[in-house]
Amino acid sequence: MLVVWLMVVALVGSFVTLVVPRQSAKMVAAIVGAIVMVLYIGLLVHPGQGVNVSWIPAWGIRFHVGSDGLSLFLLGLTVVLTEAAILASKSAWGPVYFFWVLFLEFGSLGLFSALDLFLFYIFWEVVLIPVFFLLTSWSGPKGRRAGMKWLIMNLFGSLFMLIGIVAVAVIHSQPFGPLTFEISKLVHVHMDARVTPWVFAAFFLAFAIKAPLWPFHGWMPDAYREAPAPVTALVAGVMSKMGLYGFLRIMLPLFFPEFVKYETGLLILAVIGLVYGAFMALRQTDMKMVTAYASLSHIGMIALGIFSLTRAGILGATFLMVAHGLMVGGLFIVLGLLENVGGSRELGTLRGLNASAPRFAAYFLFFALATLGLPGLPGFVGEYLIIQGLVVHHVVFAVIAIIVLVMAAWYMIRIFQGIMQGPQGDLEIADLKAQQIWWIVPLAGLVVLLGVWPNGLTSHAVPSLYHAVHLLAGKGGSV
Amino acid sequence: MQLLTEIILLPLIGAVTITVFKGLMPKKLPGIWASSLVGISFLLSIAADVHLTHLGVHHRFVTGTLWTWISGFGPAIGARLYLDPLAGIWLLVITGIGMLIHIYSIGYMHDDPGKARYFSYLNFFIFSMLLLVLAGNLIVLLIGWALVGLASYFLIGFWYHRPSAVRAAKKAFVMNTVGDVGILLGLALLYLHYHTVGYPHLFRILSAAHPGSAFFEWTAFLLYVGAMAKSAQFPLHMWLADAMEGPTPVSALIHAATMVTAGVYLMARLYPLLRLAPNVHYLVGAIGAFTAIFAASIAIFQRDIKRVLAYSTLSQLGYMFLAIGVGGFAAGVFHFMTHAFFKALLFLAAGSVIHALGGEQDINHMGGLFKKMPWTMAAFLAGTLAISGIPPFSGYYSKEAILGQVFNSGHTLLWGVGVLTAGMTAFYMFRLFFITFLGAPRDQALYDHAHEAPRVMTIPVVILAVLAVVGGFFRGWLNRWLAPTFALYPGASHAGLESGPLFGTILTVGLAMIAIILAYWMYVKKGVAPNAGSAHGLGRQAFEAWNLDTVWAWLAVIPFKTLGDWIRPVENGILAFVNGVASVVWLWAADLRPLQTGYVRRYALSIMVGLGALLAFYLIRA
Repeated sequence: MLVVWLMVVALVGSFVTLVVPRQSAKMVAAIVGAIVMVLYIGLLVHPGQGVNVSWIPAWGIRFHVGSDGLSLFLLGLTVVLTEAAILASKSAWGPVYFFWVLFLEFGSLGLFSALDLFLFYIFWEVVLIPVFFLLTSWSGPKGRRAGMKWLIMNLFGSLFMLIGIVAVAVIHSQPFGPLTFEISKLVHVHMDARVTPWVFAAFFLAFAIKAPLWPFHGWMPDAYREAPAPVTALVAGVMSKMGLYGFLRIMLPLFFPEFVKYETGLLILAVIGLVYGAFMALRQTDMKMVTAYASLSHIGMIALGIFSLTRAGILGATFLMVAHGLMVGGLFIVLGLLENVGGSRELGTLRGLNASAPRFAAYFLFFALATLGLPGLPGFVGEYLIIQGLVVHHVVFAVIAIIVLVMAAWYMIRIFQGIMQGPQGDLEIADLKAQQIWWIVPLAGLVVLLGVWPNGLTSHAVPSLYHAVHLLAGKGGSV
Repeated sequence: MQLLTEIILLPLIGAVTITVFKGLMPKKLPGIWASSLVGISFLLSIAADVHLTHLGVHHRFVTGTLWTWISGFGPAIGARLYLDPLAGIWLLVITGIGMLIHIYSIGYMHDDPGKARYFSYLNFFIFSMLLLVLAGNLIVLLIGWALVGLASYFLIGFWYHRPSAVRAAKKAFVMNTVGDVGILLGLALLYLHYHTVGYPHLFRILSAAHPGSAFFEWTAFLLYVGAMAKSAQFPLHMWLADAMEGPTPVSALIHAATMVTAGVYLMARLYPLLRLAPNVHYLVGAIGAFTAIFAASIAIFQRDIKRVLAYSTLSQLGYMFLAIGVGGFAAGVFHFMTHAFFKALLFLAAGSVIHALGGEQDINHMGGLFKKMPWTMAAFLAGTLAISGIPPFSGYYSKEAILGQVFNSGHTLLWGVGVLTAGMTAFYMFRLFFITFLGAPRDQALYDHAHEAPRVMTIPVVILAVLAVVGGFFRGWLNRWLAPTFALYPGASHAGLESGPLFGTILTVGLAMIAIILAYWMYVKKGVAPNAGSAHGLGRQAFEAWNLDTVWAWLAVIPFKTLGDWIRPVENGILAFVNGVASVVWLWAADLRPLQTGYVRRYALSIMVGLGALLAFYLIRA
């Protein structure tokens, strides 16, 4: 029940921002976000309280939502990052902006808690809308185009997913069972061997575009570049996890034998993204684009963990999804604040800023170190687990993964030093003030906590994670 | 167990409090506060070590798990600490020398505007290093391992407005990451096979295994890569010379006495694994010997006082690895200890010289300083005699222990390299001493300005000088302290300190004496210029550290950048494809735009209203 209240508060709150005076919209949005966070703490204490009622009885569609170890921390990521994004946004962007941000939170909460496949699809579509408007209306000169590309590619993917969903449900109901979209029931479907690859591909396409996995990332560079930083943080931090969550929640239980069959191919696809993103990040001069391609590389790493089909790998992927969301979200937000005062994102235009803005430098460095996987911070935990999973059957991929970790250190330190250190340039910027950033400290604290005590998350995630993926019978069961 | 937690946490508390409250602290407080915390840590370390002596020989360790770090994919991995005699030695050196260098820094950094930041970094380093040596499993070790690398990065790039410092910091960080990921993969392999990376379980399991399988060779090699990167073994050594961009006390603490010996610690810690990987074990010794002589050849031609010391550190680290490679674990640890004394001493004395000369590091501008800085000169001489292996100074004992053991093990070639390097060491160190302190001043203006360092700097230097002189007498005590530890598991049957043949000692010391006389004749009698011989030919190559930076650039940096450039067209292709599709849709949509946008809005609105109504309905009903 509580999880529904989270959604209701976000949804109602989003409309409230539209009716309050213009200048207080940001404050109202922040309060709504804070209420959702408080409710979320209640959810942490009493997880697993869901709602399951019939919605469209004729088609067997149910409004079934709930939270388990797999979704609980992604819900947490959503509420934390949304609040951070609201606080990092400019009040001048107006009530409609905050409306869409809260509406996005509503959609994301729904998506991560949906346990009915059709409901999942509805929320999958719902989140497209706020992001489309946020991209087109509050972004840079190419924003409209970036938004169009985002919408076209994602609609394309979700269309295939809809076909897949209907196919699975219909096949499941054959020959004369009732139609149902309950994920827990659909996983027992018996599909014809000729049909399965197509259904697999339909789901895969939708999730791969959303994540995005290489080479389905065509929408990503423009969207990340053009969107305002808080929106980029949400897209990279929360939205990208939806595709990966889809792999874990829906595809692994449904298609486990197919994952085994295509394992090598999938791993190669993931590892290409991992390496490719790192190389691209190494050659960028726009600090936001370095982070964007770093993010592409990390998504490849997470996918590698999922496709390793080992306990450690999948656990690592789950952990890294949450950790990556917080880290990369934090990084985009700090970079956005920096862009606001510095007026640029280019290496060379911005240089030697540490002298005039030591606080900026400190927060930038913190999130950069977290992102590059410094041991002691959560990125390392996820990467360790994924490598622990890869060495079971695929040492070669583990070797490639650790080489990319060295590259990550290189591209992150390169961009940090380029902007913050060296001789001071002509540009002097105003440093962060305490009232601007008081909320970054708890965010950073959360990141540190996850790195020092990852068991707090993994011990909760494990039972439902292995339940969700059917214990990966036989294959790599020990590690 | 509690004591371990406090030993580690005190410096962390210092780092955090200084970072948070530096604006409120009086100017002198950060230095005093940081030094006292490390001092308390030192006292607690003594107490912890004394506690160890009360335990039986076979149970001489303290261990405990603070909390479960991670679980759920196999046996849980804890946040675990572990103290045994081996870690105990490191503990004393880190906190003891660390405290002295903190105190020295109060004087050295007294007029630097960033000194609060400096002390917070320094405390953070001590915390990380303690975490590394007190780790109870390889994961915690790796966390400490990476954090010392980060502290080193902070301190090398402390003067972040200097491009050279920034470059050096980046190089150190990236090269150290190579080592980190080596350990990461190595520990993942160990966990996969044994379901534990904790001490002492891992050692017990390894003791039961039979040597020779490729698995052990690979695992040991990966962990050795970590040791190579941290301890600057060839070919991952270049970052250490550049690391001299940091403040001199940092070079003394991190890049000489403690952090760079972490690789020696790791190899000594994992001796049960080295037994199982004879090839890697031999490689450790061979690369150690090569690094020793290779670095010595570079040190002879350097003109920067700190670079000479940096290459001498590389060379001495090579000796330690040579000892590990022939199974002389106690000898390696012994040399680590004496080296910490005399090398910290040499760096701090050099720091006093640099401080007195207003930041000048080029020995071309030094000379005759013994009149101005008698205390510093005496201390530097003690350190130089110690590193040159002249009896009865400390370096003599530890170097003899290593060379004797190498000889006894039958590796004659490695022994020959070690002896030759000892002669080279005496030469380049006395070259440095004579040029800096004897003869006529080469730069009169700097000379006139020079003065002895303040007492807060000379007292730590004198204490270290005493240790550098008498450190060798800890020989018997150290042997008794470490031998039972190395006897617990198979793989270290010759770990105890041994004596070599008498002719070896005579040869080594004789070579060193000849080298000293040669250096005296060249640089004092003949007055050969410090930069003579490094202008062209082989000397030039050696001065430029055999140009390995260029080789690395060609082998690693340029290929990566080129590959990055090759990927760009692929990326452009992908983006062009998507753009093309979008353009078609855009054109098609242009005709229908009024209708289209209307639809999107209505679509959005209807979904929102529908969902809202639905939710409200069920909430009311439920």
